[in-house]
Amino acid sequence: MARTKSKRRRQLEQVVVYPLDWVEERSGFVGAIRYFLFRKVPHDTNWFHTLGSATLTAFIVQLVTGVILAFYYKPSPNEAYDSIQVITNDLTLGWLVRGMHRWGASVFIILLFLHMGRVFLFGAYKYPRELNWLLGVLILVLAMLEGFTGYLLPWDQTAYWATVVGINLNATAPFAGPFISDFLRGGQEIGANTLSIFYSMHMLLIPGGLIGLITLHIYLVIRLGVTSPPWSQDPAGGERTEVVTAKRGLVEPRPRGNGGPP
Amino acid sequence: MANEQERAYFKRYKEDVETRGKPFHPWAMFHDTVMSLVVVSVIVALACVWYFTSGEEAGESGILGPRYTEEADPGTTSFIPRPDWYFFFLFYLLRIFKWPESVVLGTVGIPTIALILLFALPFMDRRRERRIVRRPVALVGALLVIASMGILTYKGATAEESLASENVELVDEWVQEQGLSEEGEQGATLFAQSGCQSCHTYLGSGSANLGAPDLSDIGASGQSAEELAAYVANPAEFGNQVMPAYASLGEENLMLLGTFLAESTGEGGGE
Repeated sequence: MARTKSKRRRQLEQVVVYPLDWVEERSGFVGAIRYFLFRKVPHDTNWFHTLGSATLTAFIVQLVTGVILAFYYKPSPNEAYDSIQVITNDLTLGWLVRGMHRWGASVFIILLFLHMGRVFLFGAYKYPRELNWLLGVLILVLAMLEGFTGYLLPWDQTAYWATVVGINLNATAPFAGPFISDFLRGGQEIGANTLSIFYSMHMLLIPGGLIGLITLHIYLVIRLGVTSPPWSQDPAGGERTEVVTAKRGLVEPRPRGNGGPP
Repeated sequence: MANEQERAYFKRYKEDVETRGKPFHPWAMFHDTVMSLVVVSVIVALACVWYFTSGEEAGESGILGPRYTEEADPGTTSFIPRPDWYFFFLFYLLRIFKWPESVVLGTVGIPTIALILLFALPFMDRRRERRIVRRPVALVGALLVIASMGILTYKGATAEESLASENVELVDEWVQEQGLSEEGEQGATLFAQSGCQSCHTYLGSGSANLGAPDLSDIGASGQSAEELAAYVANPAEFGNQVMPAYASLGEENLMLLGTFLAESTGEGGGE
């Protein structure tokens, strides 16, 4: 009995381990994921540090719901409004997908600002993380552009006139302004060309840029690590004062959690 | 380049994390997972409230606004230009600046400066201090930015919208005050109905948006009805890139509007 059990067990293990080994040997992906999951972070990371991953979650919600919406949305002035109505009122759970995309956009922007505020509060943009701050600002700019281009797509009055004004405001910029607004409109009037351009930017150009920037952003977070809260009694990288050294000698097990009183 | 102190800090940081840190999984992973679930739940909840409190009709608003408004129609001009909420601060900023002198400050100037400051932040703030109470400039700057963004967003959100139905009732008053002719009165009615007052004020009514000037005494500028009509038809031709073209109103209506504007001298030709 014992022998058959262990044999089955070995076979089961083979089923799981073999493909993983196969992939690992040829790519190193498994090692990379293991490194990502089990890398050390400062002992005093806390709930503030979840704002980045929360923002990523909101972005993933936008990607998934956006892809589903693109199945049913028709980017032409004659059909866009009708397809939005069909999505919202007729398709099974269409309202949920559109609602999540619409409100997810606001949640994404709010979380971006909160995340940025957290990084500012912690002074986490300082050496050696300056570059990641720049990437973050670029992500914020692209996210706002995503909001601007997506706003036109329902092709209702609110969408149309907000875009008329938005494009006109672009035109006030010195030198490049009129060219940018002509390009965005795809001609003199807002019409089929405008909708195509906004649709393509909203679901190809800007999301592509965002995915690339977010990947780099996360790569740098992993490479450089996150900062301890500035109010931590014993922050990672803190000065080696006598107090800290003494405390480290005494405190066992290692302190964890919120890093002590503010 | 980084100085010795900075490099030493980062070396200590790496050591501390390595020797005394905790593994990302499960510690941070737990927090992140809980937070992500909260985010998705909030999004689903918002979608539900939005959908179940609104109706199928265009413009049938619930707690979180309508599902959609009427289909886009370049012909109708009675619109209220309103961006999504996170552009409200920009939108309201344009009430402060006036066409044509300073509007570019609101549309391009201030956003560009804000963006440059954001990009430059890590290069301007080179001190290693991270506690916010010991970074007075950063603290005051952050509070000012939060306050001004908050106030502008709030003002943009609660800005009174000028309603065509209310403005039309004022036409009689305008006729009295400005001494408008028959044609001028027709033009005034058009003016009230066509959404002009979404951006322009006139004798104390309407809302000032996007830097649009008050039109109570536009006629005093000496422009003729024809000139004003041509301007309204296509403002871009006169170098005004902000105001949309109203050529779709038709020649006749444009002339009525032009007459109304030319007669609006602000001096009160009537009783």
